[in-house]
Amino acid sequence: MRDPDAAQTVSVCNSPAGERARRFETGLSRAGLGLVPRLGRRASDALLARLLRLLADCHPRAFEALREMPDARVLIEPVDAPVALLMRVGPEMSLHALPRGADGVGEALGKAGADAVVRGPYDKLLDLLEGRIDGDALFFRRELSISGDTALILALRNTLDGEDEMDLVADAASIAGPLARALPVLRRNAGPVLDRIDAARRLLPPPLRRGIERLEARLGGTAGTPPGGLPGKLPGMGA
Amino acid sequence: MTASLTLGPVLFNWPVDRWRDFYARIADEAPVDTVIVGEIVCFKRAPFFAEAMGEVIERLAAAGKTVWLASPILVGSERERSAMRDLVRSDATLPDGGLPEGGLVEANDMGALALLAGRPHAVGPTINVYNEATLGWMAGRGAVAVSLPAELPAATVAVLAKAGRELGIETEVQVWGRAPLAISARCYHARAHGLHKDGCQFVCGNDPDGMPVTTMDGQPFLTVNGTQTMSHGCLCLAAEMPALVAMGVDRFRLSPQAMDMVRVAEAFRAVLDGRRDGAEVAAELGGLIDAPLVNGFYHDTAGALRVA
Amino acid sequence: MDNFELICPAGTPAALRAAVDAGADAVYLGFRDETNARNFPGLNFTRQDVADAVDYAHARRVEVYVAINTYPQAGNLGPWRKAVDDAARLKVDAVILADPGLLDYAAKRHPDLRLHLSVQASAANVEAIRLYREAFGVRRVVLPRVLTVPEIARLNAEIDIETEVFVFGGLCPMAEGRCSLSSYATGLSPNKQGVCSPANHVRYEQRGGALASTLGGFTINVFGEGEQAGYPTLCKGRFVAGEGPAYLFEEPTSLNAMDLLPELKAAGVRALKIEGRQRGKAYIAAVVRAYREALETFAAGRPVPHIDLQAMVEGGTQTTGAYTRAWR
Repeated sequence: MRDPDAAQTVSVCNSPAGERARRFETGLSRAGLGLVPRLGRRASDALLARLLRLLADCHPRAFEALREMPDARVLIEPVDAPVALLMRVGPEMSLHALPRGADGVGEALGKAGADAVVRGPYDKLLDLLEGRIDGDALFFRRELSISGDTALILALRNTLDGEDEMDLVADAASIAGPLARALPVLRRNAGPVLDRIDAARRLLPPPLRRGIERLEARLGGTAGTPPGGLPGKLPGMGA
Repeated sequence: MTASLTLGPVLFNWPVDRWRDFYARIADEAPVDTVIVGEIVCFKRAPFFAEAMGEVIERLAAAGKTVWLASPILVGSERERSAMRDLVRSDATLPDGGLPEGGLVEANDMGALALLAGRPHAVGPTINVYNEATLGWMAGRGAVAVSLPAELPAATVAVLAKAGRELGIETEVQVWGRAPLAISARCYHARAHGLHKDGCQFVCGNDPDGMPVTTMDGQPFLTVNGTQTMSHGCLCLAAEMPALVAMGVDRFRLSPQAMDMVRVAEAFRAVLDGRRDGAEVAAELGGLIDAPLVNGFYHDTAGALRVA
Repeated sequence: MDNFELICPAGTPAALRAAVDAGADAVYLGFRDETNARNFPGLNFTRQDVADAVDYAHARRVEVYVAINTYPQAGNLGPWRKAVDDAARLKVDAVILADPGLLDYAAKRHPDLRLHLSVQASAANVEAIRLYREAFGVRRVVLPRVLTVPEIARLNAEIDIETEVFVFGGLCPMAEGRCSLSSYATGLSPNKQGVCSPANHVRYEQRGGALASTLGGFTINVFGEGEQAGYPTLCKGRFVAGEGPAYLFEEPTSLNAMDLLPELKAAGVRALKIEGRQRGKAYIAAVVRAYREALETFAAGRPVPHIDLQAMVEGGTQTTGAYTRAWR
C-alpha cells in the first residue's frame, strides 16, 4: 500500500544533505513555476491541466474527494514567487497560473474570483501541500495566512493531508521526461553537487521549453555519467 | 390547558437576604406552579444559602408552590460528591426527605441521576437529553419530568414533547432568562479578577446578573457567572409559546434574572392562559432587561440571534 | 507493571498509518458524518477506509476505536445506530459513545462490542461512571478535563473500569459535551453536529499588521504583528470583562501532561490519549513518536525526558491544565 519511494523521500529529507536537496528542489520548482505564465495562457493552462491529470492518477482518493467538493476557487499565493495558483475544486476541477502583482490578499480574492486565499512562503506552501509539515503549526506561527472561506481551505488541507506523503516535485518533474529519471539520482547524490546545479538554475533562459531542455540536459548528465567529477555517492548516505 | 410555569433556580450569587426576599415575593405574588431551589453553579456558594433553605422551602410550599431541589451541575471533588449524596435524600417520596409533598430532586449531573434511579425524579437542562431514545431510557429509570437543553431546535423539541406524552414524562422548555451555555472546573469570575478559585473572595457576588463579556470590538457577547458561562442575550420564547403548547410541551421555565421576576411570571402566565399575545409580551419584557432578547436556538440558528 | 496504553488520533487514513507507525497502541477515528465530534470538512473515514484501517492496524497489533460521540438527533436515530452497527461489523476494537440512548442500543444490539464512554459524556464522578458501567457495561471511561490528578486517583480507587485521560493537544476549559458556546455564536454545536467553532463561520481579517479572527460575526481575537495566533475557538478567544482584553477562559495553549506520567500511573490511569483528529499527519507522527519514547523510558524506570513539542502547539505554550489545582 505504501509507496517505497515516498519512504525514501522521507529518509533522504531527514538527513542534512536531504535538507539541502529539498531546498534545491523547492527553488527549482519555484523557478519552474515562475516560467509557466511566460508560455502564454493556453499553453500554461494545458501544462497545468496535464499536471493535474497526473496528480489525479497518482492520488485518486484525494482527487476524487476534491471533485466531490462544491464548486469553489482557492488562490494559493506564494509571497516569494512571481506566480500564484488558482485551484478550482469541485466537478470542474482546474489549475491556473496567475502572475502575482503587488496586490494584497483581499484584492487577490476579488480579482482572481477566489473564494479563499492561502498565502505564505513558497517552500512552506509546498511542504504543506505535500503533508510534510503541520499546517496548523504554520498558521499559529503566522507563517501562513488565510482569508475568505476558511472551511474551503480546511477541506483542501485535510484532503491533501489524507494522502500518504505526496511528492509534488517528483510528480511535476515526471511530466518533463528526463527530469523524472534525474530526480531520484539527484536525491541520492544530493550534497555539494547541488551548489553547481543551483548555480545552473540561475542561468535558465526565460522561455520554459528551452529552459527545461537545458535543465534536463544538466540533470540528465547527473543521471548518466557525472560531468565534472560529480561524486557517485556521498559518505554516510547509505546504499 | 394543563401547561405549567416553573421558576428555575437562581443561578447568580445573590446575598442571602436578597435571595430570601426574592423567594418570599415569589411565594406571595408570582403565578408560577413549581419553584426549583438550590445552588447549582458553585459548591463554594452553597453554605450561604443553606441556612435559609428550609425557611424558603416552607414559605414557598405554604403559598401552594410545588418545590423541587436542584442538584449541582458539575460534581467532581469529594466534597461536591458528598453534598450531592445528601441532596438526593431530600425528596418527598422518602420517609425523611426534607421536601414537602410533591417535592422532587432535579438531577443536573449523571451522578445525581444514578442515585435517583427507581424513584420519581426530574432531569435538569444541563443533562444531555437530545433524543427520544435517551428520554425513554430515563423514563424507564423513574424520571417524570425533563427540562430540555437550551440549544435544542423546534423540530427536536417537537419530537421529544410527543415522545414524552407517550412515555408519561413531562417535557419542559426554558422560555425566559439568559441561557446557560457552559460549565467549568475553572472560575472565570475569579480569573477575570486575577484570583484563584480557592481564594476567589466571592467576587461573583458583585454581579447579581452576571459579569458582562464583550468582544475586543466592544460587542456584548457572553455573561460570566463564576464557573458558568451564559448568553448575553436573554432567551425569550414568549411568542413561540402557542407553538410549544401545540407540540405538547408541558412545562415552561423562567430562569431568574436580577429584575422584576413577578412581572415576568405574570406576563408568561397571561400568554399561557391566552390572555395576552406572546410577541407583545416579549416587547414589554425586553424593555426590562439590559440585553437583547434572543431565540435563535429554537429557530435552529445561532443562539445569539433573534428570529422574528 | 503494565505500561500505559497510548491512544492516538487519526482524521485520515494517512494519519492513521502515521500514528500506527509512530507507536500507537490504539488509534481512534470517526466516520465521515455528524456522528462524531470532529465532523470537519475533508476529514474522517468512509466505511471502506475503516475496513482498511482495521486491516492495517491489526496487522501491526494496534487497535482501532471508532468515536460515535455526538448526541443522536431526535427523530433521526438511524445514522448513529448504523454507525454502531457498521463499527461492530467492521470488527473495530471499541466504540466511543456519549449518548445514553445510543449506549443502550449498542449494549443490547451488540453485547460483544466493547464500549468506551466518550469525554463528551463528561462523567466526572464515581456515581456517574458506575451508572454507565452498570446500565450499559461500559469498560472504559475517558475522563473529562475537569479533574485534578488526586481526584482521578480517588475516583480510580472506587470504580472498577479503566480510565483514559487526555495528555496532549487542544484543551477544552469547559466540561466537554456540556457546552453550547459554539452553538450560541454559530448555530452549530459539538453535541449536535460534531463541530466546535466551525470553519464555515470563521473569517480572518487583516487589520494592518494585526490579524483578527471572527466567529459567527463575533470578534474572537485580534493578534498583534508577530504575535502567535490560535484557532478562533470561542473559549480560546480574547474578550473584555471588566478591564482590558484578556484570555478570559483559556489561553491559546496546548495540554501537555508528559511530566505527570508518574502521578498518572500512581493514580491508576490505564490509557493516555492524544487529542487532534483534525491535525495533520506530520503533527500526529511527531507527537505520537515523542509520547512513545516517553512511555518506553518511563516503563524502563528512567526519568521521563523532556521532549520538545513546542513547535506543534497552539499559541506556542503548554499547560498541564486541570490536572493541577492551580489551573482553576
